[in-house]
Amino acid sequence: MRNIRAVKLLIIIFILNILESFIAPYLINFYINLPITFLVFSLAIYNSNRNSNPLFAFLCGLYLDLISSSPFGLNAGLFTMMSYVINSYANTFKIFSYIQICVFFAISSIFYIGFKNLFISLENFSYLLLFVSLLFNTLLFLLLAMLRYYFPSMSIKYD
Amino acid sequence: MSRVAPTSGSKLLYFFCVVVSGIFLYIDLNYKSFEGVKNFYQSFIISSSYIFKSVTVEPIKFLYQISKDKSDLINENKKLKLELDNSYILNFIISRDSKFFADDDSIKRFLDINNINEVFHLAKLEYFDSELYMCCNKHRAFIKNYKNDNNFIGSPVINSMGIIGHVIYGDSLSEVLLLTDTDHMMPIMSGNHFCNAKGSGKPGKIICLYNNKIWQEEVSIGQEFFSSGMGGIYPKGILIGKVADIRQVDENFIEFDINLVTSPIISNVVGVLESI
Repeated sequence: MRNIRAVKLLIIIFILNILESFIAPYLINFYINLPITFLVFSLAIYNSNRNSNPLFAFLCGLYLDLISSSPFGLNAGLFTMMSYVINSYANTFKIFSYIQICVFFAISSIFYIGFKNLFISLENFSYLLLFVSLLFNTLLFLLLAMLRYYFPSMSIKYD
Repeated sequence: MSRVAPTSGSKLLYFFCVVVSGIFLYIDLNYKSFEGVKNFYQSFIISSSYIFKSVTVEPIKFLYQISKDKSDLINENKKLKLELDNSYILNFIISRDSKFFADDDSIKRFLDINNINEVFHLAKLEYFDSELYMCCNKHRAFIKNYKNDNNFIGSPVINSMGIIGHVIYGDSLSEVLLLTDTDHMMPIMSGNHFCNAKGSGKPGKIICLYNNKIWQEEVSIGQEFFSSGMGGIYPKGILIGKVADIRQVDENFIEFDINLVTSPIISNVVGVLESI
């Protein structure tokens, strides 16, 4: 995921968008929303060893808007904001524990879901969905973070 | 290497991007200005996936379908052939209705009591030594029932033309003693003339020897002989064959050949009648 090229990231976003559209109908039965594309993009920015260009985040978001049939500018704005937050706190994250980082990403994803629901499906806006998704995403990220202890080859080196 | 926090210049760029996103969002939600772009993208994706499918998946599917159709057709053909054989034998029985079902009520009662649902059971010719059939005295056929492995010892075996023999031994395969086997003896009749026909050991031919002092009525070439039902195995009145050659053996006995109307080699599917 590190030093990933823009084209590779776009392809990954395209594939993950399809995957998300397959998974979402099943997860929503359990009041869970997992924004895979947003999280993978955030992880790519987080793992990058240099600050990304705001235009890059903006264009990635615009691209996601196009392929996911979302209103133009929604993902673009959210991706740009997320990119700004990660770049601003990139050094601070290094003194955070894994749990804190997991909670940060879970809260970010909930912010993303809530913001998206406000524009796309205001009638179906549900706090239950946000709460359950927050729990699920936090647990999922913790689980993924713990995998590196069981599979050391998956671990990512930091500068 | 540590990452540098966004400078005021890049902050401005971030702000600019967010503002542009907001404007895009506003325009899209209120004026649907980007619908054309989205529709173009969707149609592009649909057409490219269709083209991709028709180039890659469809030919494979087509080939698979062809092979499947072929095997289906072969299976269907086999099934139809079996049905056809079945109908031939059934036709043979129906066309001789009065012979097989002389007493309808009693046969029906018998079938009901013995829980017999079918008049005959379709069987497949599993092994038949045609060389032995052409040259030697021992004329046997081995058949296997399609549906059940019941032993039908003593049951007559027929094909679409007539009687070919009866089952003498039954296991996984049933052994059929053919009419032409020299060990086979069958009482036949023609009018008032009764005779025990013996297998000749020659294909399609049985021999009858009778005492002309007892049966004074003359036998003529081409005369038809039928099963008499006296042996307790074959039903009565089924055409067995026609007289082909008559010979005077001695002063008292006359021998004649009967050419059978059927042959075991005309079909590889036979019917085994319920032994009544």
